[in-house]
Amino acid sequence: MTLPVDLEVKNLNFYYNGNAHALRDISLPVYKNRVTALIGPSGCGKTTLLRCFNRMHDLYPRHRYEGEILFEGRNILSDKEDLINLRGRIGMVFQKPTPFPMSIAENIAYGLRLKGIKSRTELSGRIEQALKHAALWNEVRDKLNNSAYDLSGGQQQRLVIARALAVEPEVLLFDEPTSALDPISTGKIEELVAELKQDVTIIIVTHNMQQAARVSDMTGFMYLGDLVEFDTTEKIFTAPEKKQTDDYITGRFG
Amino acid sequence: MPIFSKKNSIDIAFSTITAVAALTVLVVICGIVAVLFKESWPAIQKFGFFRFLFTVEWNPVTSVFGAASAVYGTIVTTGIALLIAFPTAVGIAIFVTEIAPNALKGPIGAAIELLAAIPSIIYGMWGLFTLAPIMSQYIEPFLQKYLGNLPLFKTLLAGTPMGIDLLTASVILSIMIIPFTASIARDAFNLTPGVVKESAYAMGATQWEVVKDVVIPHAKLGVFGGAALSLGRALGETMAVAFVLGNNHKIATSLFDAASTITVTLANEFAEADSDMYLSSLYYLALVLFGLSFITLAVAKLFLLRAEGKHSR
Amino acid sequence: MKREHYRKIINYSALSLSGLAALAGLFWLVFILGDVLVHGIGALRFELFLQDPVPAGMTGGGLRNAFIGQLMITFFATLIGVPVGVLGGTFLAEYARGTTFARVISVLSDIMVSVPSIVIGAFVYAVLVKPLHHFSGWAGAVALAVIMIPVVLRTTEDMLTLVPWTVREAAFALGAPYYKVILQVVYRGAATGILTGVLLSMARVAGETAPLLFTSFNNTFYSTDMNGPVASLTVTIFQYAMGPYDDWHQQAWAASFVITLFILMLTVSGRMLLKWRYKK
Repeated sequence: MTLPVDLEVKNLNFYYNGNAHALRDISLPVYKNRVTALIGPSGCGKTTLLRCFNRMHDLYPRHRYEGEILFEGRNILSDKEDLINLRGRIGMVFQKPTPFPMSIAENIAYGLRLKGIKSRTELSGRIEQALKHAALWNEVRDKLNNSAYDLSGGQQQRLVIARALAVEPEVLLFDEPTSALDPISTGKIEELVAELKQDVTIIIVTHNMQQAARVSDMTGFMYLGDLVEFDTTEKIFTAPEKKQTDDYITGRFG
Repeated sequence: MPIFSKKNSIDIAFSTITAVAALTVLVVICGIVAVLFKESWPAIQKFGFFRFLFTVEWNPVTSVFGAASAVYGTIVTTGIALLIAFPTAVGIAIFVTEIAPNALKGPIGAAIELLAAIPSIIYGMWGLFTLAPIMSQYIEPFLQKYLGNLPLFKTLLAGTPMGIDLLTASVILSIMIIPFTASIARDAFNLTPGVVKESAYAMGATQWEVVKDVVIPHAKLGVFGGAALSLGRALGETMAVAFVLGNNHKIATSLFDAASTITVTLANEFAEADSDMYLSSLYYLALVLFGLSFITLAVAKLFLLRAEGKHSR
Repeated sequence: MKREHYRKIINYSALSLSGLAALAGLFWLVFILGDVLVHGIGALRFELFLQDPVPAGMTGGGLRNAFIGQLMITFFATLIGVPVGVLGGTFLAEYARGTTFARVISVLSDIMVSVPSIVIGAFVYAVLVKPLHHFSGWAGAVALAVIMIPVVLRTTEDMLTLVPWTVREAAFALGAPYYKVILQVVYRGAATGILTGVLLSMARVAGETAPLLFTSFNNTFYSTDMNGPVASLTVTIFQYAMGPYDDWHQQAWAASFVITLFILMLTVSGRMLLKWRYKK
């Protein structure tokens, strides 16, 4: 396969609390404009790996990265990396919807304002564009000034996605984005993820294997901090090479 | 929810005793209101409500009593105290919840709360013997020199700085209420869900932007509640102010003037009130103070309950 | 990038300001406590605890009367306030749990905790001093008890609520009546917490001055008669500090030091107890 690579993880090790070895020697390519899914049982390190891409671990003391994640040829794990800039380009959506305590419109405008966009016309244009992009516009167009807390859980999650999209990131990280949602909302988010890959590179962590099979192009299976197998989603779900992967896929696991 | 056997006579007796004990709170509050009204009734009849509130004269000799100077002093000192204390307390809360290294969070928070444990008489002693001289020799002349020529401050900072004045009293009050506002603000900040903060960080927000745009808006009910609670406390503070305010019944336009508050008037004059109208007027003052602080505290409680309700939902 | 640079400067400035605020808070604490320590230790004498005051203007003498008076008033206030508070809190957390009545009393208690203490003094004056035509230690103790009750009541309510409901169910299942469940099981589970509430409420009232000014008043002589005016440290500090004599000021500092030490010890031990009992 000769797809362009957006992010390249090279021999990544990660430690919590000084010595808990959470990720062991992980290497994988993340292809541009593709959806990469990370699956595996709880505690396997998939969320830990995801949070390396935007350096979320840096919010907490006593963590340590070893190895590299290359983004445009630059190692984003280096101490010199500007995290504010990095996080502006690699967005993230969390398990639970995380609207900010402000109106729907202000939620979307938030990231834009951080980037210094002040013009009202530009803001409202980009708010509309982002909400349309996240398939939420028709539901909220008349109540943009309502509190974001008034929306349903599924709507909130799409709002959060719209908020992340508004700043036009190159990569979006999804951390089990549908685990707190009902099946209908989940379906909408999955459709959205599939559409979004035209514009952004997506990495999604999920504990739901069907979801990974439905939305992703590439899948990595992780277990106890190791990346056991990484391949096209089709290959992983039909003919995995490792027995561990096969056991997990077929539900014969642990 | 609790069910208890109506058949067991000891249980009935015990529950009755506890019920009576719980009722004492209600009885005391009603008692305070009733007693204050009864004792101040002669003064209420003589001076009315608005006339009492807006009369400056407080003259035991001619038996003319007005609350204006005391109410003015109370409002000015608490107002300035809140103005100084509120930003400091919120700053402390931000520092303790968001910035300080984990190992320091607890100790610093506990140290700030110790400020609340120091009895008000100690604040008074310290204010009279230590802070007042510093104020009169250094801080007040300094303020006068650098701000005293600005339009509004010309009046506010007029006169000879003596240290026994509105400003010193306000500074002491502000120190006393910092811990209340700070600890309630801290608790409110801590209720902000971690994942919402993370998601602001994930958008590239700086620490301050997360505090300003997510944590503070999330906690504003609690923060306002804490400020209102502090205000209610400051209104009723007696000893700390009594040491450093003089007891001067006039509307002082300069912060360097001695003045009086409701509490200071009560503390200084209650035991020596020699006529019935004098004592009744003092009770009337106490009634005004009780009303002011009860309403403020009730508003504070309302804010805090709503803040709690928001999070338990 | 220019804008990010600017945002970072704002960030560091704001964070530094909040650090300064914390420093300011610590500064006041150290300043005040240090001041009391320096002045107080310098003025501390053995006679202070052993002798009664000498006539105004003369040097020497002590504050034995005020120490004893303070202890008596605080002791009787605790004796009245703690049982009422604990029992009241028990009603709210047990028999009346979840009722509107419990909510109302609970909210009113929270407000009562912060009601101006001088108003409580005025209230007790009208009820216990004016009708009897004399100040009394009892009136002072009652005024302090009135301040203690809501504090103890609220802590008791909170601490009892922390005892898991299943613990009570387990006791009910053995056939125990509710009062036995409360006395033998629930109180045992909440004992440390309630004790903390008692300690903190004692710390709160031991430093009170305003409610004593016109209830227990003051007494320059040694008196243990709770039916008459009784000296207290706090009122004496106020009187001495505002008085003209240097010797009085010295004694006021010494008394301030003792009372601060006493109150901080109560507060700190109360908090440590709570921390030790309810540590995560």
